[in-house]
Amino acid sequence: MSLSGKKALRYLVALFLIFSLNFAIPRSMPGDPLTNLLGEDVMLTDSYVLELRAKMGLDRSWPEQYLEYWRDILKLDLGYSFHLHRSVSDIIFERMKWTLLLAVPALILGAVLGALSGARAGWKSGSCIHKMETAFFLAIYCTPPYFLSLIVLYLLSFKAGLFPLKGFYSTGSAVDIAHHLFLPMTMMTLFSLSRNYMIMRGSVLQEKGSLYAAFARAKGLYDEEILFRHVFKNALLPIITLLALDFGFILSGALFIEIVFSMNGMGSLIYDALLSRDYPILQGSFLIITIMVISANLLADLLYSRLDPRVRWQ
Amino acid sequence: MSEINPGLDTDAIAMAIHEGEESKCKKDGEGRTALARFIKKTSWAAKASGLGLALFSSFLAMAALSSLLAPYDPWIRFEPYLWPGEEHLLGTNDLGQDILSELIYGSRVSLIVGFGAALMATIIGTTIGLFSGYFKGTVDEILMGLTDIFLMIPQIPLIIVLAAFLRPSFWMVALLMGSLWWTSTARVVRSKALQVSEMGYVRAKRALGFSSLHIMLSDVLPNICHVVMPKFLLSIASAMIAEASISFLGLGDPATKSWGMMINFAFSRGGFINGYWWWYLAPGLCITLFVMSVVLVGHFLEEKEISTLRSE
Repeated sequence: MSLSGKKALRYLVALFLIFSLNFAIPRSMPGDPLTNLLGEDVMLTDSYVLELRAKMGLDRSWPEQYLEYWRDILKLDLGYSFHLHRSVSDIIFERMKWTLLLAVPALILGAVLGALSGARAGWKSGSCIHKMETAFFLAIYCTPPYFLSLIVLYLLSFKAGLFPLKGFYSTGSAVDIAHHLFLPMTMMTLFSLSRNYMIMRGSVLQEKGSLYAAFARAKGLYDEEILFRHVFKNALLPIITLLALDFGFILSGALFIEIVFSMNGMGSLIYDALLSRDYPILQGSFLIITIMVISANLLADLLYSRLDPRVRWQ
Repeated sequence: MSEINPGLDTDAIAMAIHEGEESKCKKDGEGRTALARFIKKTSWAAKASGLGLALFSSFLAMAALSSLLAPYDPWIRFEPYLWPGEEHLLGTNDLGQDILSELIYGSRVSLIVGFGAALMATIIGTTIGLFSGYFKGTVDEILMGLTDIFLMIPQIPLIIVLAAFLRPSFWMVALLMGSLWWTSTARVVRSKALQVSEMGYVRAKRALGFSSLHIMLSDVLPNICHVVMPKFLLSIASAMIAEASISFLGLGDPATKSWGMMINFAFSRGGFINGYWWWYLAPGLCITLFVMSVVLVGHFLEEKEISTLRSE
């Protein structure tokens, strides 16, 4: 199960290109590159600006700056946020924990529930209940996540007062955190569930017509047995690949949910950085997300070749 | 590939189709059951897509005829925060602008962004897929390598970073999305072009000495159109959701009123906290309904394609 050289080369080129893009963007955009690198509305004295310019190598040539950029990345130095007065990597690693707490359970739950209910819906695609279920999930699938979250937040937290309005915690006890997490996690699960549901449904619909399923039926197996012992495994492949890819987007995946529920994770970090034009944070987050996305793609490839014998023996 | 919005992603759908295509070699014998299933399913699917088509065309009419349909100019100010009533069917916003008129004029911007991005993505994707499917070999390797690389770019974060620096107009947003979103179209077109370019009539034309470009345009491309069309529709859907999301972040064009911008204004100017539901509910529903209509029509075309393939 070795990764082919071509594939590996593609991953390296992609990583290289995106990192280079990240280098080029602040330096080629309109305006002073120092402003573009530090963020706007940063108050600094003139002498400090000169010192920074020299320190960040902006007075040197592009190739030199480029080498310096890679050296910093290899040292895990993502720069310094002049808005938050801390190093970017510190802030990101601190915020990441909260996003993971929200997103990991939601993604896993969404994949499991989506695969199970989608499989049943595809298997019995004629039944009335499943048709209504499909229509419901299709409607969710077509709604911008932030819009539905806004409405749910308004109705359940603001009007009914059942859930807290914002944040991850107010007192910090486990019950309190769970209470805060419930609504955003439900919303995120719902969206990942509806996506997985639609895909699993289509996948089972395709597998259902295949010969091995007909054979299993001819042998006299029960419906449930055919679905969960034979069809399910084959139909699950796209979901597993997508789950692996989802983990790549786990840090930015909760962006809109976090903004709506005012939760201090990576998503609102990016949003706040956007509002205050805190470019180092934006770029640092972009780099971390890129690394995660590319490794998730790698993971999906490896998983796929291990799970699907047709790919394995090629 | 899903990122910020786990909602729509055509790549995921393409992936599902792609998997289906890889296992298509076991087609024989399967044809009859698939056909039977298709006939049984048709009534429901046809009804749903009929509804989709009706919705889709009414939104198109709304965008085309907005100056006739809208009761007021969307920039005229009346009394702010009016409840929906006789004068203003959907009420007014914080500046006293009529929400219904904003909604009708907003359909123009939202649809232009959706169509523009999808058109661009489809043109790039079809060209790349066509070339790599027709020429195969090295060209295929390079173009598909490029596609793989583009597939790995975290698109929404990249758009956010770029938009933060550029503060783009809605045209720019559409072009940006279009130039990132073509990957799944390219893959589908390639796999179809691979099949078509081995057909007898293409070989015959090649033997007669027609140029590759001529064959691609007049023989291969027309036989690929039916795969491109559903992909185009699904790209519109994902572009619309992405535009709404980017506008919600405040990265949209403040001088234009798209549905996403309307929700953004309602969110950032207190329409939400104060319970002015009419301000944000209508544009949100419009986005959902439009995306749903496009997805319904697109899915129907796609399933029709799969079933005709099987029953051949």
